[in-house]
Amino acid sequence: MLMTNRGSARYVLSMAAALALSLVGSLAKDIKLLNVSYDPTRELYEEFNVAFTRYWKEKTSDAITVQQSHGGSGKQARAVIDGLAADVVTLALAYDIDAIAEKSKLLPTDWQKRLPNNSSPYTSTIVFLVRGGNPKGIKDWDDLVKPGVSVITPNPKTSGGARWNYLAAWGYALKKNGNDEAKAKEFVQKLFKNVPVLDAGARGARTTFVQRGIGDVLIAWENEAIMAIKESSKGQFELIAPSISILAEPPVTVVDKVAQKRGTEATAKAYLAYLYSETGQEIVARHFYRPRLESVVQKYASQFARVKLFTIDELFGGWQKAQKAHFNDGGVFDQISQANR
Amino acid sequence: MNLPLNEKRKVKLPPWAVAAAVIGSPWVSTFHLLADGTTDTLESLKQQIQQLDQKVRVLERNRELDNEAADDKTNDVPKITLDQKGFSFTSADGNFSISLKGILQFDSRTFFKDGGIQGNDGFLLRRARPIIAGTVLRDFDFLFVPDFGGTSGSAIQDAYLNYRFQPELQFQFGKFKSPVGLELLQSDPDTYFNERALPTDLVPNRDIGAELHGDLFDGSASYAAGVFNGQGDARNSSNADFEDDKEFAGRLFLRPLMKSNLSALQGFGFGAGGSYGDSSTANALPATTGGTTPGYVTDGQQQFFSYRNTVVASGRHWRVSPQGSYYYGPFGLLGEYVIAAQQVQTNTLNTAALKNTAWQITGSWVLTGEDASYKSVVPAHPFDPSAGHWGAVQLVARYARLDIDRDAFPSFADPTASARSASAWSVGLNWYLNRNVLVKTSFSRTTFSGGGGAGATAPAIVIRQPENVLFTRVQLAF
Repeated sequence: MLMTNRGSARYVLSMAAALALSLVGSLAKDIKLLNVSYDPTRELYEEFNVAFTRYWKEKTSDAITVQQSHGGSGKQARAVIDGLAADVVTLALAYDIDAIAEKSKLLPTDWQKRLPNNSSPYTSTIVFLVRGGNPKGIKDWDDLVKPGVSVITPNPKTSGGARWNYLAAWGYALKKNGNDEAKAKEFVQKLFKNVPVLDAGARGARTTFVQRGIGDVLIAWENEAIMAIKESSKGQFELIAPSISILAEPPVTVVDKVAQKRGTEATAKAYLAYLYSETGQEIVARHFYRPRLESVVQKYASQFARVKLFTIDELFGGWQKAQKAHFNDGGVFDQISQANR
Repeated sequence: MNLPLNEKRKVKLPPWAVAAAVIGSPWVSTFHLLADGTTDTLESLKQQIQQLDQKVRVLERNRELDNEAADDKTNDVPKITLDQKGFSFTSADGNFSISLKGILQFDSRTFFKDGGIQGNDGFLLRRARPIIAGTVLRDFDFLFVPDFGGTSGSAIQDAYLNYRFQPELQFQFGKFKSPVGLELLQSDPDTYFNERALPTDLVPNRDIGAELHGDLFDGSASYAAGVFNGQGDARNSSNADFEDDKEFAGRLFLRPLMKSNLSALQGFGFGAGGSYGDSSTANALPATTGGTTPGYVTDGQQQFFSYRNTVVASGRHWRVSPQGSYYYGPFGLLGEYVIAAQQVQTNTLNTAALKNTAWQITGSWVLTGEDASYKSVVPAHPFDPSAGHWGAVQLVARYARLDIDRDAFPSFADPTASARSASAWSVGLNWYLNRNVLVKTSFSRTTFSGGGGAGATAPAIVIRQPENVLFTRVQLAF
């Protein structure tokens, strides 16, 4: 009888322990993050999200589901301003995040100081993608303004990538013409006269060029151009690096008020910090973005073209000034579009 | 054929060949010329075709982009929805919405061997509620529910504003259910029987106040805590207070295994609700005179207990209700226990702290295999005879008991007019034709002890014999 009682006691204790463990297990959280990003980062964040989910589960036992939203960078920023509850934004350019900070007050205006490298964990640049054999003989920016050359680039009004393309062309013309703004404007106007289709985002422009077979040259993010070549049959496309281009720094940040409200702030911060880790930087490089971490930079150096790069601060005085002068309503791009009609 | 020139001279051609050569040579030259011209023409045509091809592709792509832009604009248009959840308007950004919903319950009650009570058999429009629900500025929800059904005239059932700061932290203000009783908090169209069980007699119904509430750990726990005007047992608040004292009410409910891998335990939940306040008026007691509502009533909504009309509430009033539920596949179980304590006083200043208790256990089984839950059963195959679909059928059974404190008799309650305890068992069958239409029938038998004398007031006749009542209901809810 005594043994029976002890056995029963053990059984009850073990059941209680199992229940307690279940209770503890049930305290592990299921967290959902929404990353609102720009067009070409789909594949990058698909792989990165898997890696981070695994890392975070091991570290905290919390299960994470990261949802992705992609589109033209400007369009995505507007969606967040209009109420899309993004925990983090990983957009094509700082101006779009500035707009979120200013218009929605969801994050502080000095957000860019919160993470290393101006909150840009990776960079890229702008290159040309041409058809196999380069039938139009395109070598540099000057070839894009020749009559009969069809150029594909998205709409700078909606696409961050397009704004980088535009400013890269403008920067080339400025440097070639001794900082003559009028000649730069004339050059970019000629270039856009050769653009038959204006997609809303970089991925759409790639579709236009690669899948719809339109145009002789696609002005593209370097990572998009390399990926298009890798995904196509051999010799179908070629990457042409221009003599000079722009250093594109796509930034990332936590959308503070959304993350605080959803209780995801700590996870969202860790998510972005993980982009700077060796694992994150390896994933970045595997998707043909230029990493920041020196060891990864060295490892993947051979996959990136050697291009002379200028920054937006050097030639345009930063995104705010560039946006105001070129892309706001009535700005230079609108003037060019009007003149080309 | 390349031959040395001298050899060529030695060749003698027949006359017909010479003639042919003479006649044919201009044509050969012409053919050569034509061939050169054709090559150029073909090249030119090829270029034109390529240019045309590019133009067509550009036109097609631009049309594609125009369509995408048009779709985007469509997304900016407010949405109007009419479906099984009602009629709703939602702004394009989702920040504003308004829904029109409703509940209509058409009942019948048939009492057997009821001692000749008049007016209790018959048809009844139990609930007739248009519901207006909505959201403003994304985080502010509102609900307005008037009721034109029942026996006590039209009234506002719910009218509140809820601010969702986070799912875990919400603030609600207005008139709504006080967070105490498990079955009482179940939505009216979702209850298994036409009428709630005896424990609902002891908990507050709707009250006016402010409440902090939320769901924690993705719904594994929920809590509510608020301050209210304070209501008597089973009472519904009027639109104003009747005394200065306030009542505090709260509830914590846990579903700790909701996310475990043990599916048989995921539907297990338990918790407790309670209230505390001071009351010093007869309005804080159940009805003091005869009639059918409110007060402590049977399943058939007939009053079986009331305080003497000389008794008033005179102090502390608290309730505690441990409660739990379990759902696994088609099986469902719901149980609760309530202690309701009230300080009372007679006009002769005789006082007592009375503790009334009640409990219930309700089981259900969905015969057609759908999942049981705290909410209504959703038929896997909505009623459609032509397709051989008949909806879902649920078997329900319940036992409940309510005991009045012995000290209530005889000073505070008349033993000839009120019973000291009531026990009720019920069985029923619910037929869910679809998400919106439900037909149910049930039978309840309530027995009484400790009362049943020949009093002059209405309750006495109710408790002279067991109550046997057959319910039916046709319900529309959306």
